[in-house]
Amino acid sequence: MALDDLLKKNSVRSPWLFRINAGSCNGCDVELATTALIPRYDVERLGCRYCGSPRHADIVLITGPLTTRIRDQVLRVWNEIPEPKVTVAVGICPISGGVFREGYSIDGPIDRYIPVDVNVPGCPPRPQAILEAVALGLKIWKKKLGLEE
Amino acid sequence: MPGFLKVLFRNLLEGPSTDPFPLVPETFTPDRLRGKVVIDENLCMGCGICSYYCVAGAINITRREDSHTITVWHNACCRCAACRQFCPVHAISLIPDWHSAHPEEEKYNVIEQKTIKYEPCSVCGKMMRPVPEAILKKLYVNNDDVDLAHVRSLCPSCRQLEDARRSAGLPAAETKKAVE
Repeated sequence: MALDDLLKKNSVRSPWLFRINAGSCNGCDVELATTALIPRYDVERLGCRYCGSPRHADIVLITGPLTTRIRDQVLRVWNEIPEPKVTVAVGICPISGGVFREGYSIDGPIDRYIPVDVNVPGCPPRPQAILEAVALGLKIWKKKLGLEE
Repeated sequence: MPGFLKVLFRNLLEGPSTDPFPLVPETFTPDRLRGKVVIDENLCMGCGICSYYCVAGAINITRREDSHTITVWHNACCRCAACRQFCPVHAISLIPDWHSAHPEEEKYNVIEQKTIKYEPCSVCGKMMRPVPEAILKKLYVNNDDVDLAHVRSLCPSCRQLEDARRSAGLPAAETKKAVE
């Protein structure tokens, strides 16, 4: 039992990332791809990697202002991600609605429907800022797992 | 020599191209990057042209009898710099600070807020925003005989009268302090 706890505490955790596009203009998605794919910003150093299925994800990155058309699908996919999960709102659109705020087709900001943990504003945010947000999300995730104070 | 050997040796010499950023605090930032909005409270006149042109509606100006407060919410600002472009007194600028990630609890605290206090006009006593000295120097660049500190203490209508008096060769109006 003690060995089990020791292993649990000291093992390196690798959260997997999942992207949800809630009606984004694709700007933030390009930045997310940049953060992951090019060697310069390499998010995999933090143990993160993108996965294709929401059921494998730990940290979910949401872009876009949550349009009315895509709202139900976003909520369905988000609910499929197992707990504990960390939600990161990328860009000003999911945080406040951004330039689309109070538009007829906008149902956001996203924290009306989904509990957000980390915000990273920008239009789009810099890759380093996204890395900072993922690092912050990692800390919150470990806290949720009960590994860190 | 095969091409890949050249690349291999270059990589061995120059090291990895990965930016070590989240693991070490230093990283590179372009000088003219548009990051956070900052307001110079010594220059802002509260005209409201920035909030008129703000695409995302991130700027709010609250006007009171004796002051005005200008607030920029960074979580709505899309860093387009239209406010900087249209500010007539160059009071608004964008600094290359991109450290914007914050937890949800601080969502409504990431703001830039400045309150500008008004002063009473020295002749009529009306509350007004004193003209910043930098702007006065520009306005009266060819009038060396004008006392800028006195002009600064006048409201726009009293300043107009004062200018008319000066061009007509009449003495300046009595200030409230002098009357008392």
